[in-house]
Amino acid sequence: MKLFRFETYKIFSRWRTYISFGFIALIVIMTEVVMKLSAHEILYRMMRSFQKDFLIFGNVLNGWFITAFIMNSLHIHIPFFITLVAGDIVSNEATSGTVRLLLIRPPSRSKIITAKYLTTLFYTTGLVIFLGLICITLGLLLFGNGDLIMNYQTKFRIVFIPQAEVPLRMLLAFTAAVWSMTVVASLAFLFSTLAENSIGPIIGTMAVVIVFLVVGNFPFDFFRMLSPYLFTTYMVFWQRFLDDPIPWQEIAKSAVILGLHNTGLFLIAFIVFNRKDITS
Amino acid sequence: MEAYSSKEVVLRTHGLSKKFGKRWAAKNLNLEVYRGDVFCFLGPNGAGKSTTIRMILTLLTPSAGSIEIFGMDLHKHRRAVLSQVCGIVEKPDFYLYLSAYKNLEILGSMTRRVQKDEIMEALEVVGLTSRAFEKVKTFSHGMKQRLGIAQALLTKPQLIILDEPTTGLDPQGMKEVRGLIKKLASEGGMTVFLSSHLLSEVELVATRMAVINRGELIAQGFVSELLGKESMEYSVQVSPLDSAVELLAKLTWVEVLAAEDGKIELRVEPGHASELNRFLVSNQIEVLSFYPHRTLEDFFLKITEGTSEI
Repeated sequence: MKLFRFETYKIFSRWRTYISFGFIALIVIMTEVVMKLSAHEILYRMMRSFQKDFLIFGNVLNGWFITAFIMNSLHIHIPFFITLVAGDIVSNEATSGTVRLLLIRPPSRSKIITAKYLTTLFYTTGLVIFLGLICITLGLLLFGNGDLIMNYQTKFRIVFIPQAEVPLRMLLAFTAAVWSMTVVASLAFLFSTLAENSIGPIIGTMAVVIVFLVVGNFPFDFFRMLSPYLFTTYMVFWQRFLDDPIPWQEIAKSAVILGLHNTGLFLIAFIVFNRKDITS
Repeated sequence: MEAYSSKEVVLRTHGLSKKFGKRWAAKNLNLEVYRGDVFCFLGPNGAGKSTTIRMILTLLTPSAGSIEIFGMDLHKHRRAVLSQVCGIVEKPDFYLYLSAYKNLEILGSMTRRVQKDEIMEALEVVGLTSRAFEKVKTFSHGMKQRLGIAQALLTKPQLIILDEPTTGLDPQGMKEVRGLIKKLASEGGMTVFLSSHLLSEVELVATRMAVINRGELIAQGFVSELLGKESMEYSVQVSPLDSAVELLAKLTWVEVLAAEDGKIELRVEPGHASELNRFLVSNQIEVLSFYPHRTLEDFFLKITEGTSEI
């Protein structure tokens, strides 16, 4: 617990940590203000495909819809912000030489690496919660409350979630989003354990995420065949909480697969760190 | 010196070896450090000093051999051993974005609970009280070195391991750090293990020493014994030169090697250095300067009888 406290103190003493929070706030504010200014256009585009079949009343372009819309970009910019800290947390100690001070203390390497991993997860959770809070708060302030309408264009489906049910669905979706993002954090953490500078883990993680996302979305049979083996395929499982009915089995499967990735990546990092000769 | 046989061995290595690829960085080292020693691990750059220190501080896993500290096997009792040991490996690196105080608090608390006044006390010993709450990134190398010693003091260790503690320091900084090392051993009752490639440093601070070259132990023992075995060469600047040379020729324990430009190069048998100075002064010879002439390379060549490459 003490080591976790120190690690948390260390990462939150660096300005780099706040870049992520600052940029997320900026992206959300900009997106929501632009959406507010272009509300009529957005509403027209949203409704265009199904307004001839449905009569829709009420506040469609509400804070919940805006939140769900912004969350769709989660797997693109949030991983980058996560890697800024997760990719740096171990490698930076090697770069700065402080790893030598750290590892000659009584706490074992196992405890130190575990504390660092927990800190990485804590930061990741904090970042996603921050995104959720700022999206919902600003969204509700600017766009008000209402039912959530999700238009699954690829499945030719529209889902209506009543206003009373949306907060719980959002809570579940953000919890799932945290879980998804921990895989990116675990990957960056592993790379950070292997490297002795921060640039490699950050670029390496982003390269893996981007390549997997691209490969997973190519509309060819060969790439579709690969898709189940890419962790990025399961990272969007948070969206399933905004479906009706909620596909629990699919959610459970994704959560387990991502959990196994987390466990595997951390175990490799754990073994590498414990066996590593510190020559830097 | 016989009393040493009854002294507690604080650090002992048995056949300690480390291999990187095909190269042995340390080979079959058998070291013994006694309680209260200022033990100097001497060797040229690349001799294996840092590798050995890293193994002793668990940063490297030995390829063979074992390390015993306070009678406990380091591998089996890592936590118990390291709670009584502190060290600085190579240069003292700290979290530059944190203050000196916060660095000490974090690093000290990893060994034991430390109070604010203990941190301030440690900073006071090394003369950094006024900079306690400034970020370490504003510190000079010498200040970081002193902060390194402060963090070592904070945990109240019984054994302090310092890897080339005066490297990169200016003469004043070197003097301060050497003074601190002596103080730790004499007043703090700590055992100090330090590495150096400076023979003069060994003479100034150490009680016992081990000499390493190419990963192998060449010699180990008391500094006075190891260094005192050899005749010392000196450069003496005197006036008048001719009279001094004439007088010195009469002494059986002095061999004049060269005399020119008011300077005499001579070799003196062990234990006669101060006597030589007195002799010249009492014979109305003005001694303008008097300094030893021995280098680490000379020392190595002598103790290895020219068989070792440096």
